[in-house]
Amino acid sequence: MSNSRRLFLKGACAAAVGASGFTIAMARSTTSGDVEPACNYALVHDETKCIGCDACSIACREVNQVPEGVSRLEIEREGPFGEYPNQHFRFTRKSCQHCDDTPCVKVCPTGAAYKDPKTGIVSVDEWKCVGCQYCIAACPYQIRFINPVTKAADKCDFCKETRLKEGQLPACVTACPTKALTFGDITDPQSQVVQVLKSTPSYRSKTDLGTRPKVFRIASQSGEIKL
Amino acid sequence: MSPFHFDSLIWHWPIAIYLFLAGVSAGAICFAVLLKHFKLGRDAYKSGFVQAACLIAPLAVFAGLGILVIDLTKPFDFWKILLFYNPTSVMSVGVAVLMVYQVALFAWLACVFKEPALSWCSGRWPVVEKLFNAIAKHEATITGFLVMLALSLGAYTGFLLSALTTYPMLNNPVLPLLFLVSGLSSGAAGTLLGGVLLKGNPDGKEVHFIHNIEIPMILVEIVLIFTFFAGLILTGGQSQVAAFTAIGEGFWGWIFWAGIVVVGLSMPLAFNLFMKASSKRKFSYVAITASCSLIGVLLLRNFILYTGQMTVA
Ligand code: SF4
Ligand code: SF4
Ligand code: SF4
Repeated sequence: MSNSRRLFLKGACAAAVGASGFTIAMARSTTSGDVEPACNYALVHDETKCIGCDACSIACREVNQVPEGVSRLEIEREGPFGEYPNQHFRFTRKSCQHCDDTPCVKVCPTGAAYKDPKTGIVSVDEWKCVGCQYCIAACPYQIRFINPVTKAADKCDFCKETRLKEGQLPACVTACPTKALTFGDITDPQSQVVQVLKSTPSYRSKTDLGTRPKVFRIASQSGEIKL
Repeated sequence: MSPFHFDSLIWHWPIAIYLFLAGVSAGAICFAVLLKHFKLGRDAYKSGFVQAACLIAPLAVFAGLGILVIDLTKPFDFWKILLFYNPTSVMSVGVAVLMVYQVALFAWLACVFKEPALSWCSGRWPVVEKLFNAIAKHEATITGFLVMLALSLGAYTGFLLSALTTYPMLNNPVLPLLFLVSGLSSGAAGTLLGGVLLKGNPDGKEVHFIHNIEIPMILVEIVLIFTFFAGLILTGGQSQVAAFTAIGEGFWGWIFWAGIVVVGLSMPLAFNLFMKASSKRKFSYVAITASCSLIGVLLLRNFILYTGQMTVA
């Protein structure tokens, strides 16, 4: 009896150590990104140029066939600030940040939420997704939703399946009348995104969470100073 | 902000019930193991309390899994969770634990009910007899694994929520411990309530044994809840906001103070201390105390799930 108990304890300890070691090793290998990506797409939203016309979100809906009631991209409006006639609004972009360290991918039980190692684009495999909504809860930017048609999780994928496939820029970037959006590869020093980011101070949302978002923002001149 | 509908709410009450049932199952089977091991021995299957625990454990885990599957937006694709596996996902690991847990659970049930099961078959199917004997040979190992798996299951329900960085109140290291301990106490309560309903003696040694463990368990739970909120408040920022939204005024504040603190913790504690003094326990005492604990834990799951999602990092 005592012998079998000791044997069991030994076995149990070995199993526990093995299982946790395996999990940690897998976790490290998937998050540390040993594979150098071929490119790493990023987007800059220049809030000083944005006029809140919603051309981007309308184009996104059309090109990516986003059903009514949900959206991959929203322009949030704050304001008005100041007195008539010098009133202004502040517009911020609400869409997937294509985090480099992705909470949504980490929690997905089936691997349906994944980051494309070649482009750094975070997307959803519609077929693999079971709709547990864990990723929706895990995304600190709260931009994921269940697509009412496919019943799978959905979000901005930098137009990977539509415009990028045709070798064109994302729909929202092309649609913007004031050229407030710049899209490109941040690993390429010649790209337009890198030029914009180097010439203008930018910020990113919720960087303290360690998600390393790849949507950069150039802060609007208007708006409140909040503490 | 309405208590059941707000923008940042993703997971609704079915998830709270699932978390509750997983905890009840894990807790009930732990107490069945303890009762068999320390009090009843080979005759365990004759006790109404062990029978209740052995009914509750599998039923609760099935019901919980059923709710989880129905709550998917693509319920018919649930098998993909079993087929694909993501080691960084707490949900994946939890589903794996749940599957192995069920195997260990049934193997252990076979050990406990070997005698009555075999006499019921009365040698009609020799295969069954062989199977039961083969399983019973490894009872010590199965019991050990079952307890480990049950404890993992109890803690997993907390890890599932604490992995969410979005919500500062849920992203909290105390949560898995709190869920484990409250899950164990809900399992104890379920065992007691089921036991007296199955005509177990409300003054039997099983009840005395469980009640002796219940008092320290409730005290630990109180300490953990205190640590949980003290930690949030001392962290400051959005964590502090989340804590005050949860236990401040409003619907969920009431649920916390009246439902969880008074009904779920203080009343069972008071009853238990009172029953220690008066030696004789009656059916109604046991049933009411156990019901209070169960209600408290069910409210705690809902409270944490809803208020946890109210504040975003
Ligand atoms: S913003 Fe949300 S959905 Fe997009 S990559 Fe980051 S965590 Fe995932
Ligand atoms: S909803 Fe789909 S993509 Fe999101 S975590 Fe669940 S299975 Fe993965
Ligand atoms: S990149 Fe494409 S999918 Fe993403 S917001 Fe723009 S248009 Fe929509």
